[in-house]
Amino acid sequence: MREPHPKRKNYLGIMGWIWGGNYRIERYLYTLHRVTGLGILLFFLVHLCVTTFFRMQQQSWEAAMEILHNPWFKLGEYLVVLAFAYHSLNGLRLIIQELGFGMGKPAPPIYPYRDSLRKSRRWSMALVGTAALIALVFLYDFLVGG
Amino acid sequence: MKELSSKNITFKIRRYNPEKSNKTHFATFVVPTTRGMTVLDALLYIKENLDSTLAFRTSCRMAICGSCGMLINKYPHLACHTQIEELKTKTVTVEPLPNLPVIKDLVVDLSPLFEKHKLVKPYIIRADRPEMDNPTAEFAQSPEELESFLQFTYCVKCGICISACPTSATDKQFLGPQALAQCYRYCTDSRDDGERERFLLADSENGIWHCHLAGACSDACPKGVDPALAIQLLKRQLVARATNLLGKRELTPLVTPPVHSKPKLPFPQFTVNDKTDAREG
Amino acid sequence: MKNAYLWLAQLVTGILVAVTLGIHMVWMHLDNILSALGIDANEPTSWSSMIQRSRDIVWATLYIALLAFVLYHALYGLRNILFELVQSRGIRRAVTWGILAFGILAFAWGTYVPVILLIK
Repeated sequence: MREPHPKRKNYLGIMGWIWGGNYRIERYLYTLHRVTGLGILLFFLVHLCVTTFFRMQQQSWEAAMEILHNPWFKLGEYLVVLAFAYHSLNGLRLIIQELGFGMGKPAPPIYPYRDSLRKSRRWSMALVGTAALIALVFLYDFLVGG
Repeated sequence: MKELSSKNITFKIRRYNPEKSNKTHFATFVVPTTRGMTVLDALLYIKENLDSTLAFRTSCRMAICGSCGMLINKYPHLACHTQIEELKTKTVTVEPLPNLPVIKDLVVDLSPLFEKHKLVKPYIIRADRPEMDNPTAEFAQSPEELESFLQFTYCVKCGICISACPTSATDKQFLGPQALAQCYRYCTDSRDDGERERFLLADSENGIWHCHLAGACSDACPKGVDPALAIQLLKRQLVARATNLLGKRELTPLVTPPVHSKPKLPFPQFTVNDKTDAREG
Repeated sequence: MKNAYLWLAQLVTGILVAVTLGIHMVWMHLDNILSALGIDANEPTSWSSMIQRSRDIVWATLYIALLAFVLYHALYGLRNILFELVQSRGIRRAVTWGILAFGILAFAWGTYVPVILLIK
């Protein structure tokens, strides 16, 4: 069949991963999960290079560590700790929920609708929230350790 | 009795007419609204009184047909199911649903959704083919078995979950929340044996593993179908089949005998006799 | 069910990374708290401490395991993201092979160094 006029492509694209309108918190946790995952991957690649290329001689290792003890690098390391704490706990929530645990059973949709994520939001967000506790413990050590 | 007060609300509608231009623009209309008026009522008012060239799709006005899905104040919803008052804004922005091709103004092409829905074989597939074609009795099902998928049968194919899904925002081939939820709906139906055929599709590169539980589909669904729940349960079912560890493995017998707790009911007589019907000839 | 196994491996490596990387993070960053608890991390970033851990078979195994888990988990995740961006079969195949080759190279290089340090 001949199409008389072209249809307008209306895909949100990558902005659709980031922007979501007034959706609930899981939509933004999804974005954050992606961002932290990619951030940790980037750090990991740099870290792998640093720890392999400079470990052959004592001088080069100590010179590299001297640079990395700079407060700005310390701050960067703390951000990696934050990302790891969030990514692991949100990942744990995703593993539990994606395997269908804690999602409840299909229920008759009676208005106002309460979807399965909303029903379990209290404990699932408590699980993700423990990332803040971990972040605080690590913050103490970063401050004491300088 | 308190009189219904009329309030002027500005409607900003994204217009697109491929016959004139490839660009979109916003058209502004001022609509006098009363209490209980829906966004669809306002669109009909605009079409009748202000601009008859405005194109949108609508049919039932009661959230049954799934025609009037659109992006209202940056949130996908059925226009007939959204009261202007509950939006609590002076300006209402109405745009076509994203992640679907736009034909004109607010009319989106839902055929990608229908094609993907067709792909998951949304019908009962029986191992006993002759019985499926010419049933001799009813396929018995307990109320519990019905409730295990009943929620997912309320889908009206409006495309709102697809426009809410972040994966569908970039991946045009992704099956989408609607098709995957319907895949689970049929796979978990106790009368159905088509699991293997559908699992092949759900497990494909455009299938279920691109769902990362952003939950926006269930959040936006105007019928409370909860596609996210169906998809996670389908993941669990797939993992259970793949590992043989989680859950019970129910091997579908080649011939599923219908449970006859009651005496067989004769198949009802057709009121209209069709000469070409195989049953007659 | 190929993709189901790949996805399941993502979950399993995710848990394993959380455990092994958790040990690594606690050891490297919580040395003050650890010493208060009576465990001496011996200034974890110093040369002597690093060599000491490299010679220890338990630490070396932990690090090699962590490397394998992280590489799988991260590269499968990256592949997932890239697959959502490109739909062409050819590019998808190239992405898979590119990522696989990169993973094997990174694993080979990342294990080569600790193994020679372990032997030396």
